Amino acid sequence: MGFFDEPFDLTTAAEGRVEGIAKVTGGGKYAAEYKVNGLCHAVLVGSTVAAGTILNINTNNAKQVAGVLGIITHLQKPLVPGMANEEKIKEARFGLPIFHTDKIYFKGQPIALVIAETLEDATYAASLVTAEYKEDTKIVDFNGALASVSLTPAGKDRGDIAALNNAAQTIEAEYNIKAEVHNPMEMHATIAEWIADDKLKLFDKNQGVNNVQRTFAKLFNIPVDNIEVISEFVGGGFGSGLRVWPHALACIMAAKLVKRPVKLMLTRPQMFHSVGYRPASWQKIKLGANADGKFVGIHHQAKNGTSFYENFNEGITRVTRLIYHFDNLKAEAATVPLNLSTPTWMRGPGDCTGDFAIESAIDELSYKLNIDPIDLRMKNLALAKHPDSGLPWSTNYINECIEKGAQMINWKDRKATHSQNVNGDWSIGYGMAVGAWNAGRGTASAGIQMQKDGTLTVQTAMTDIGTGTGISMQNIAHESTGISKSKIKIELGNSNLPPAPSQGGSNGLSSIGGAVVAAVAALKLKLAAYAASQNEAYKNATAADILMSDNGISFKTANNQFISFTSLWEKNKLAILEVEASSGPGTERQKYAFCSSAAHFCKVRVNRKTGKVKIERLVTVSDGGKIISEKAAANQMSGAAVGGIGMALMEEQATDERLGTLVGNDFAGYHFPVNADAPIIEVAFINKPDPNINPQGSKGLGEVGIIGTAAAIANAIYNATGKRLRDLPITPDKVLLG
Amino acid sequence: MLGALAFIPRGVKAFYEEVKNFIVPQKEQLPLTVSINKKSYAIKADTRTTLLDLLREDLNLTGAKKGCDHGQCGACTVHIDGERVLSCLTLAAMVPGKEVTTIEGLANGDKLHPMQEAFIECDGFQCGYCTPGQIMSAVACVKEGHTKSVAEIKEFMSGNLCRCGAYNGIVESIQKVAAK
Repeated sequence: MGFFDEPFDLTTAAEGRVEGIAKVTGGGKYAAEYKVNGLCHAVLVGSTVAAGTILNINTNNAKQVAGVLGIITHLQKPLVPGMANEEKIKEARFGLPIFHTDKIYFKGQPIALVIAETLEDATYAASLVTAEYKEDTKIVDFNGALASVSLTPAGKDRGDIAALNNAAQTIEAEYNIKAEVHNPMEMHATIAEWIADDKLKLFDKNQGVNNVQRTFAKLFNIPVDNIEVISEFVGGGFGSGLRVWPHALACIMAAKLVKRPVKLMLTRPQMFHSVGYRPASWQKIKLGANADGKFVGIHHQAKNGTSFYENFNEGITRVTRLIYHFDNLKAEAATVPLNLSTPTWMRGPGDCTGDFAIESAIDELSYKLNIDPIDLRMKNLALAKHPDSGLPWSTNYINECIEKGAQMINWKDRKATHSQNVNGDWSIGYGMAVGAWNAGRGTASAGIQMQKDGTLTVQTAMTDIGTGTGISMQNIAHESTGISKSKIKIELGNSNLPPAPSQGGSNGLSSIGGAVVAAVAALKLKLAAYAASQNEAYKNATAADILMSDNGISFKTANNQFISFTSLWEKNKLAILEVEASSGPGTERQKYAFCSSAAHFCKVRVNRKTGKVKIERLVTVSDGGKIISEKAAANQMSGAAVGGIGMALMEEQATDERLGTLVGNDFAGYHFPVNADAPIIEVAFINKPDPNINPQGSKGLGEVGIIGTAAAIANAIYNATGKRLRDLPITPDKVLLG
Repeated sequence: MLGALAFIPRGVKAFYEEVKNFIVPQKEQLPLTVSINKKSYAIKADTRTTLLDLLREDLNLTGAKKGCDHGQCGACTVHIDGERVLSCLTLAAMVPGKEVTTIEGLANGDKLHPMQEAFIECDGFQCGYCTPGQIMSAVACVKEGHTKSVAEIKEFMSGNLCRCGAYNGIVESIQKVAAK
């Protein structure tokens, strides 16, 4: 039995991540931490109303503060060519046209930026900026606004859901999930420096340096290569760094205005309305099955909140078309504009939300049918092909995830009726749910620099937001070259390095892995070409023929014709050998469908007097293809499970309709799990390579870790208490009143 | 009586808002000598400067992280005279005469502190942003003796938030060091 057949056990751990020392010593530099000569500080001033028009802004008092260098408002600002007029603003699709409008769309919307010598000066001066507004009617309550928009079809219907009328059992229910906020521990920050009139250097927190580069090249009408974006250490993202947000533009404008490098770090309260969030959602599910448990069909309706200046559709019903086979399916969706900032993708976007409703409904149906929830799922999984596209799955081991998870949590200990589960004031329950995610791959590039001593530096522009991209690149480079890990350095998160897509949607490793493999092949060919000058045998060698080691190259055959790197370097008078290669998806995407999947199992204790829910055990088994870095992958999955606990039990961005404001927009008001809120998460992998997705056979994991967790918890609470709670988060009041 | 209580704070606030319109207070700078990681710094600090901003903005000791600036997340945890303290809730002017230790001062030269070693080995982080604070708290947690069970470690480490949810590895790291 392999290591990962057992619940995750860190005690067998050996080596750590490539950036481990930098992270434990405080040496790693995050966006706001670079020392830049002449640096000054900028602080944003937010609107105090939620809807309306700015009549005037008073900056006189702020200007009197010693150390203030400049103030930007929509009335006084440096030119941004890409936002020069209404038409260009529309074309730019940048989202909030910061400092280019007098319209107020949400409370906290930046109306001014104060730049000063020190953070204290800037903060104080910002507090002195005032404005007068013409206030308009505002609406921030999602549930109150729901009825005002009507649903439209989300994808093609399948069959006819009228068939549900003949189902032996049906469930028809509504599900509400409050808005959640990413809140990575590092607050978004930018240091902007204009090196020349048309040359910009940015230290920025984001999940894709090339995306940042492209966005600002367009806005400032300068060549992409004139912008350098450095994001070597990124303190978490969860989706909040996939877009380029207004504060980064504000910082660049400030640097233009004061002709000095400027730092802008959002405050934690500003984080709640500046960099997106998972919007509040409403769903209605009608699900039916025959008496034997075979699903007849599903009708899935969903609405999510958005802003008044942009439309954001979460894609909540997408997952309905992914996991199970439904002969009859109808999906509808709508977005509900509110006086809030624009939401964005947050870990497991759409699927995480939709899956909660589907997996809750299936659980409910299982009790009605008197079929074990596992058996009901097993009967209906779409294991052969993608139910929508009809393409065969390249690999899909969701059934094995379920089997393994059931074993790990001792599913047989579960009692089917809640009255059997009482233990003093506590009720004990078991629940499970599954999740899946379309596994993608983008085109990425990687470079390798090789030294005479066999040392490799593998490079990419891709960021590592904490997922373990660096250690995984090192592992792949080690596997494909045979060179010791200690001799492989990784450089990433810089736009001067070979380009790569943003790190999101569980696509990071799937994309960059192939690029590393391709770069290694290019390196082998280059080495063979030099070797051919010493040994004719290398003349027609292919990359597949060549073996590398710490000391030199050889053939894989018995007569291996070994040549040391030292002699190769000396004979050919080499300094550093450099290669770069790209790799991306191909025709396999026309032949196969790809998905990652996971099964989540939960054991809860629910206090019947206080409504407290204690997660006693949480088991997550996933199919992410081949696991490249076991510790980092397990960390991803346990971390996602912790996020799922937050979604299920505590995360909620409350709003106040009267004031039009967010409520509790800091860590005292917005709770996500602390250490004591989570048990030791038990993680396992199926760990079978997908032969078609990419050379290393790994499918992304980041999303599936959280898709289904909340439903598993809610289903366990039902098993414990008999209370079917369909609104998240399940706070103690809901447990008591439910 | 209740009406009066409600009136006073509102009155004070209104008065302050009024005053702000014609008096903009000037900043004050204090000469301070502070000892950080056994090194003495003679500096002039703004009276409003927190220890966290002094470290990060003035002394380029960016190991202590700003995660909330409100004492709600623990990312800025340092040791003052050996006790774990939130540097964002501590003014720079409060630390003269005390010994401040930050993550940069935890290792002994090139030799990592056992807790730093354990965090690497147990993968007790993902993005690494909360990590310096976690490690400073973890060192104190072991010293305080709050390591008798997983539940006790979790309770006494709950002032340090980790959004990546790397709590498995954090607990394991502490158990490892406590067992030594």
